[in-house]
Amino acid sequence: MGYAIGVDVGGTFTDVVLRHPSGAVTVAKCLSTHDDPIAGIVAGVTRVLGGLDPALVTRVVHATTLATNAVLERRGVRVAFVTTRGFRSIVPLGRHARVEEERYDLRFTPPPPPVDPADCFEVVERVSARGEVLTPLDLPSVRRAAREIARRGITSAAVCLLHSYANPAHERRVAAVLRASVPDVVVSSEVWPEIREYERATTTIMSAYVGPLMAAYLSRLRDRLAELGVRAPVHVMESGGGVVSAELAARRAVATIESGPAAGVLAAAGIGLPDVISFDMGGTTAKACVVRGGRPEITHEFHVGGKGSFGGRRAGTGVPIRTPAIDLAEVGAGGGSIAWLDAAGTLRVGPRSAGSSPGPACYGLGGAEPTVTDANLVLGYLGSASLPLSPPLAEKALDRLAGPLGVPRAEAALAVHTIVSAAMASAVHVVTVQRGIDPRGFALVAFGGAGPMHAARVAGRFGIGRVVVPAYCGVASAAGLLTGALSADRVLSRLGAADPAGLLDALAREAAGDLGVSPDDTGVRVERSVDVRFRGQAHELTVPWSASPDVLRGRFFARYAQVYGIEQRGEVELVGYRVRVTLPPPASPPEPPAARQPGTAGPDPRAADPRAAGTRADPRTDTRTGTRADTRTGTRTGTRTGTRAAYFPELGGYTDVPLHTRATLAALPGVLPGPAVVEDPESTIVVPPGWTAAPGPAGAVHLLREEAAGA
Amino acid sequence: MRDPLTAEVLRNALLVAAEEAGIVVVRSAYSTFIVEGSDASAAILDARGRLVAQSVATTLMNSMALRAALPELLADVPPGTMRPGEVYVLNDAYRGGVHTNDLLVYRPVFVGGAPAYFTATMIHVSDLGGLSAGGMAPLATDVFLEGLQLPPVRLATAAGLEPAVEAILRANSRTPDKVMGDVRALVAGTAVAAARLGALLGEYGEAGLAAGIEDYLDHTEAMTRAALAELPRGRFEAAYPIDDDGITPGVAHHVRVAVTVGDGGVVVDFAGTGPQVPAAINASASQSLAAAVFAVRCFLDPALPMNDGCLRALDVRLPEGSLLDARSPHPCGGRYVPIYAAMEAVFQALSDAVPERAIAASGILQPFSIAAVGAPYWIHLAYDFGGVGARRGLDGPDATGVHFGVGRNSVPQAEPVESRCPLVVESVGTIPDSGGPGRWRGGLGSRTVYRFLADCHVTTRGDRLRLAPPGRDGGLPGRVGGFLRRDRDGRLERLASKVNNVRFAAGEGFVVETTGGGGIGPPGERDLGAVAADLAAGRVTRRGAEEDYGVRVAEDGSLSRDG
Repeated sequence: MGYAIGVDVGGTFTDVVLRHPSGAVTVAKCLSTHDDPIAGIVAGVTRVLGGLDPALVTRVVHATTLATNAVLERRGVRVAFVTTRGFRSIVPLGRHARVEEERYDLRFTPPPPPVDPADCFEVVERVSARGEVLTPLDLPSVRRAAREIARRGITSAAVCLLHSYANPAHERRVAAVLRASVPDVVVSSEVWPEIREYERATTTIMSAYVGPLMAAYLSRLRDRLAELGVRAPVHVMESGGGVVSAELAARRAVATIESGPAAGVLAAAGIGLPDVISFDMGGTTAKACVVRGGRPEITHEFHVGGKGSFGGRRAGTGVPIRTPAIDLAEVGAGGGSIAWLDAAGTLRVGPRSAGSSPGPACYGLGGAEPTVTDANLVLGYLGSASLPLSPPLAEKALDRLAGPLGVPRAEAALAVHTIVSAAMASAVHVVTVQRGIDPRGFALVAFGGAGPMHAARVAGRFGIGRVVVPAYCGVASAAGLLTGALSADRVLSRLGAADPAGLLDALAREAAGDLGVSPDDTGVRVERSVDVRFRGQAHELTVPWSASPDVLRGRFFARYAQVYGIEQRGEVELVGYRVRVTLPPPASPPEPPAARQPGTAGPDPRAADPRAAGTRADPRTDTRTGTRADTRTGTRTGTRTGTRAAYFPELGGYTDVPLHTRATLAALPGVLPGPAVVEDPESTIVVPPGWTAAPGPAGAVHLLREEAAGA
Repeated sequence: MRDPLTAEVLRNALLVAAEEAGIVVVRSAYSTFIVEGSDASAAILDARGRLVAQSVATTLMNSMALRAALPELLADVPPGTMRPGEVYVLNDAYRGGVHTNDLLVYRPVFVGGAPAYFTATMIHVSDLGGLSAGGMAPLATDVFLEGLQLPPVRLATAAGLEPAVEAILRANSRTPDKVMGDVRALVAGTAVAAARLGALLGEYGEAGLAAGIEDYLDHTEAMTRAALAELPRGRFEAAYPIDDDGITPGVAHHVRVAVTVGDGGVVVDFAGTGPQVPAAINASASQSLAAAVFAVRCFLDPALPMNDGCLRALDVRLPEGSLLDARSPHPCGGRYVPIYAAMEAVFQALSDAVPERAIAASGILQPFSIAAVGAPYWIHLAYDFGGVGARRGLDGPDATGVHFGVGRNSVPQAEPVESRCPLVVESVGTIPDSGGPGRWRGGLGSRTVYRFLADCHVTTRGDRLRLAPPGRDGGLPGRVGGFLRRDRDGRLERLASKVNNVRFAAGEGFVVETTGGGGIGPPGERDLGAVAADLAAGRVTRRGAEEDYGVRVAEDGSLSRDG
């Protein structure tokens, strides 16, 4: 088994993880290079390799935001949309749902469609809902469209004909004609053959829109890695947590849109506990996901660029994309979120964020507005970060709230901290309580730069008694990439299929074909599931397939009761078929850092610190390290590194609390009672009163609520 | 410190509780409207009948109904007699309800042995009788033709649905199984929200939750009053017509309003509005209140919360026995017709007050149903939107209406409808040149063409199909739409705007055209680049560009204008 590299490109940082054959891990965190993400990747890969022979790397797994950014920033290629006669307006008209403030906004204008209305073409044909041909395909109408698309110099086309999920013959013939003059043609019945023309069309259009970019990007990435001597195959994580070859990722670019968040959830799923809630809080957003029995929940539709109470997943906002995605709830609040007072004088946090420029006030990069990070610094929770921090600037920023509110600065900071914890909690809420899942039996796995500071407070709201902060929690997504197995998905909408089992077998053969295997090969796992609904309803639930109708109905009824709280019985129908084929996992999960051998790369947690890894994350010098009231008395070999005044309302205000690192925590004879602070190179763990901290397996830190400790 | 913090945290928690209830109803209901894309409504109220929070998808029409009907429920069923686990239902339009098919469902949440809060859900259910399947009775002359009326009754106990009520509902529905599926969904929604409210009570305590809610309402009132104070002082009047009542063609009815902005607040007085009529163009008071509040809010900060605090800041006056506050037995099933006129009148009055935020009149939404001529019933109940009027500085959006902020996501798609009903959707598109010409153009209306594969009944409830939505400041009206029959030879015949169970034969076509929005400013002042973009996108034809905008289109496609 060789070396494997995980690369996660995020909005602020590019994280690279190198896993050694021994299981040891080396990490690097570099600032992302937005204009050319490959530059940041090359820097990170170079750093983790150190003196290692690049030829020893056998696998590179990549999570990329290329597709997301291309959609959000509308930087994809020009696309021609080809559809059935009578329907060229369906995409321009759109299906936008007005939510929140848009409801009362007379000056609201729907977002521009994902394709220029003038670039929408019609062909003469019609198929019925049952797949019968009502109007034969008129080839001259296809040739006319093809000629005009070529004449306009459009090189990418998306074809979505009505009911093509039921009968794809017309779509295939249209594609064949177009391909003679249009280089990239994407067909809806190949991308995602499901009923509902609008979502199928937008999924197809988005595929055509980002596919050529993705192909070019991945090809360049492979070239640049090859220049470094890394000639291993490049794999890409899909939104559903599967991993596909670069070739497949280019063909199905829309399937990679939630690539990075999916990797983080896989990291949480790999923590060793079966039932966890993954909680990832970064600078601008926080994401939560439920993992049960070691498996994350999967959804089949999400909305790029969407909005709404639940962080962008409200149907009808943004561009709907029908592909499997790990079912995250996302809220637009993070460390960079700005706190402000509304017209009535009430404290609000977000949705505006200071981002990385100017950043929180305490970064000293010119930001003056108070952010969550500033509040956490004032409260004594945050110690260091990848950037030097300025307590006086944070204090000044918080005073902009404290003055008008008429409260001491620390109380204003605590209010900001509490409000944002509540926003974080709403993400957890969506994926648990709202889906009929009692969160109390779960552990909260916290990562991302800001996650471990808020995790215990969020957990407390739900009666969750255990918080796990994994090793390398600041680069958890990159580490998660290495746990993903190669997989391929297939789906088909079909009402009243005569032979469901045969249909699933055919899908399994196609999916296995993507991976170059057969469903029957040793170690190949085939998961079959079906979309079931009560006859007469519009919403389906996906349940694992069973050839026994009674078993299948039982599974559906149970799931229905779980989701809706209704013990409904009645006639059911199958409307969709899903298959995932997975190859055996490539290797064992990363060895815990606690067990690593001295001398291998990465034993020192400071290896994860960009300043320690030889390349500065930021060119500015560290002239302002440390925070107010820090008294660093110990050394890394001592029982603690010092104390710091931190604010806990339960204790009536600022209290000197012990300051630890993971190493000093591990050296303690017993557990560490809160209040306390454990500092990592990339994040800070806050242990509130009533909680204890202790080292856990695999280098993690476990926080336990005291009344839950014995349970 | 506790107050702003509690307000913010609780606000989120209450909204989430309502949101969860709505999601459960939407995903488990059978109603055609819901199945094809519409949202459910869900709200939290207190025992004093105050609206505390509503889900994002809840229209003001529905939250105002839920608020108005709760005191009526409490009048018939004293709170002291209610027991945990019980659920109540009503639809009486004269006691806060909307119309027959909209069921209002309430569940008390107990504090110290007495109901302190109510969780409520509401959808347009599958069918509860009346003149046509699915719930539209555009030609009803009294409420008894509109279907089953339910006073406040107990729908369920902790043991489950009341068998007698279930029997009554089933007996009065063309689709008994679906209606009961809808009812179970509504009940489940209230249970979800009640459980969340129970958790909040545990977290904050009785007094803490009550204080937090007071804070939230007070805060909303303060924000609303602050926003209202920014409107210019004065009295602004407007009127808006209704095409006809469906019984007597060609005779218009009018809604009149005077919006008075004073130092003490804003009064919206509909004195002078036409009297109630024995036809389905009346509204119950809750619906008219919703229209007035919605229209005023459209001129305030759009981010204001929606609860009783907002309502306290507004004084809406509805003349008793008028089109906007009808009494039994005047039918209220077509309430959207008068309340859209009320909304438009307020828009025009406030456009005079705040010209920089002016909006021209819009095309209205056009509901219709297509149903089997007999059992077993299939029903396609849907609507499409007219074009939005131009806004000063902005064209109007196409076919999205101003439907209490509902968007096109509620318009059905062709594939699911065709998989459910014996018809083919031939085309869906916008109508070129239908947006009212102006310096800022009105939004376009839409055209949808159906071809039937079986005999069926068509029912329509249209308005603004005779009297076009006018433009402002020299802008022209939008083009009126209509409902049309296409016979097997392709000949088109215009139907009246409000028809009931018109029989169509298999092979015939049905065309739904919605009305475009009015324009603002003289069309001759429209930027040539904007005309060129409209030409390229097909929103304006070459003839439209020449005749409506006075431009010349040269052979090379370039545009010019005299003078």
